[in-house]
Amino acid sequence: MNADVLAESSDLVLGYDRTVAVRPSSFTIPHRQVTAIIGPNGSGKSTLLNALAGVIEPLSGSLQVLGGRPGGRRAGVAYVMQSLAFPKGTPITVREAVGMGLYPTLGLFGRRSASDRERVDRAMERLRVTDLARRHLDELSGGQRQRVYVAQGLAQHHEAILLDEPLTGLDIVSARTIDEIIHSERDRGHAVVLTTHDLAEARAADWVILMNGHVLAAGPPAEVLTRANLEAAYGLGSLHTPDAVFIDDPHDPEDHAHEHSRHQHPH
Amino acid sequence: MDWWTEPFLLGFQQRALIGGLAAAVMTSVVGVWLVLRGMSFFGDAFVHGVIPGIAAATIFGFNPYLGAAIAAIVMVGGIELVHRQTALKEDTAIGLLFVGMMALGVAIISKSSSYTGSLTAILFGDIFGVDEGTLVTMAVLGVPVLVASLFLYRPLLALSFSPEKAQTLGMNPRFTHAALLVLIATAVIASFQAVGTLLVFGLLVGPPATAALVTRTVPQMFAVSVVLAAVSVWLGLTLSYHLGTAGSATMALVAIAAFFATLAVRGLVRAVRPSVDPDPSPAEVAA
Repeated sequence: MNADVLAESSDLVLGYDRTVAVRPSSFTIPHRQVTAIIGPNGSGKSTLLNALAGVIEPLSGSLQVLGGRPGGRRAGVAYVMQSLAFPKGTPITVREAVGMGLYPTLGLFGRRSASDRERVDRAMERLRVTDLARRHLDELSGGQRQRVYVAQGLAQHHEAILLDEPLTGLDIVSARTIDEIIHSERDRGHAVVLTTHDLAEARAADWVILMNGHVLAAGPPAEVLTRANLEAAYGLGSLHTPDAVFIDDPHDPEDHAHEHSRHQHPH
Repeated sequence: MDWWTEPFLLGFQQRALIGGLAAAVMTSVVGVWLVLRGMSFFGDAFVHGVIPGIAAATIFGFNPYLGAAIAAIVMVGGIELVHRQTALKEDTAIGLLFVGMMALGVAIISKSSSYTGSLTAILFGDIFGVDEGTLVTMAVLGVPVLVASLFLYRPLLALSFSPEKAQTLGMNPRFTHAALLVLIATAVIASFQAVGTLLVFGLLVGPPATAALVTRTVPQMFAVSVVLAAVSVWLGLTLSYHLGTAGSATMALVAIAAFFATLAVRGLVRAVRPSVDPDPSPAEVAA
C-alpha cells in the first residue's frame, strides 16, 4: 500500500449483528492529512470510524488501515471517544486516564519509564489539562473531559488519531484547544480522521468523506461538498442558505449539544 | 482484653476467623470490580444461583464445589441465552435465572430429610464448622483469584470506559468480561461453604461500596475494601460470640452497617466543613 494512504476500502459493508449500517463503499483516506467524515444522523459516520479503529469487523468487502488489518495493539491508531461516555462512579483521575494511552505498549504489567511519564505530561500540557491532573473524570465539564480523552489519544504511540465528533457541544476554550491539536497533529505527520455535523469543519479539512448510508463521495472538500452532493446526502431543500453551517435536524435529540457550538465554533 | 481474645481461644474459632478472613480478602477484591461494573444484581443472582448445585451435591453425595461450578455455568449460559435470543434487557434475564435456580435449589433440598438444616447451612454457612480441608481449598482457589485480579487491572479499567475503548487500547473486552465472571464464580464457590451465600454477597458488595465513598483511586479502593472486609469478619465474629447471634449474619451486618455509618459520617463532615473537600464541584470546575 502507498505510504501516503491511511486507509483503503473496497466494497466495504459495515453493520452490527445483522443490521447493515454502511452499504458497499469504496474509498481511500490519505495519510498525514485531516479527513472529515460528514453526513446526516444515522448515515454511518461513527460506524465507519469504529471500523477504522478495528472495533467492528467488516460484514463484507475489504478495509486496510496503514497497510494491514484495522485494530490490534500495535496498529498505531488512537481512538478518541465522545465526552458523553465516561465511567461514572469509577474513581479515576485525569492523570491515570491520560496514562491509559500507554496501555497498548505497556500491556498488562509493563512499568512506565521516565519517557512514558514525560509523554503523558506533554499530552496533558498540549490539551491544557495539567492543572486538572488530580481531579476525577466525573468532576469535569464535558469540554474538559473531551480534552482529557484527546490527551489520552496523544499519549498513545500513534500514526493516526480518530476523533468521534470532537468539537460538538464544547465550550470555546476546549473547542479551540482541540482544533489546534487537529492541525498540529497533521503538522507532525500524523493522520487525523474526525466525524462532524458541521459543514464549516468539513470545509476546513484536507479530505472529506460524505456519507448517507454509504460513502457518497470522497475527496478534497471543494470536489465533495458541492450543492448536488449535499442535496443527495441530506435531501432536497435541506440547505436553506448558501452559507448554512449546520445541516442536521436541530430537533434531533442525539444532537442536543450542537446549538452551543453554533455560537462557539473556533473557525 | 479478654473480651477481644476470648472469642478466638479455641481451634474451631480460630479456623472460623481464618476462613472468614480468606473469604473476605477474595470477595472484597473481586467485589470492587463487581461494584464498579454495576453488576451487583448479577452478583446477587450468582450467589443464589449456585444453590441447586450445592444442594444436589449434598443430597447425591458428590463434591459441592463441582456442583456449584456446574450451577454457575448453567446460570451464566442461561443469562447469555435469554440475552441473545430476545430483546429483553439483561436484568430480566438475570432475574429469570435467579428465581429459577433458587427455586430449583429449594426443590432439591426439600427432597432431603433434613430440609431446614440443609437450607440454613447453604444460605448462612457454617463458619464454626470450617475444617482444615476447607481452608486448603480456599487457599488453592483464592490465590489464583488474587493474582488474576492483578492481571485484570488494566483491562478492567479500560473496559469501565467502554468495550470500544478497551479494544483500541489492546485490552480484549470480551475476554476481560468473561474472565471477571470466572473470578466472581471462583470467589463465590471458594467462600460459600465457610461463610454461606448471604455473607458472600455481603462481602462482595458491602466493603467495596463503602470503599467507593472514601477513596480517590481504584488501588485505594482495593486496599480499603480488603481492610473493611477483614474488620467485618473479625468484629462480626467477636460480636456474635458475645451477643450469641449467628456468625455469618453478624459479619454481613457489620459490613453493611459500616457502609451506612461511613455515609452518615461523610454527610456530617461535608455539612459541618464544606471547605474540607479539596476538589471543587463540577459547576466550579466548569466555571
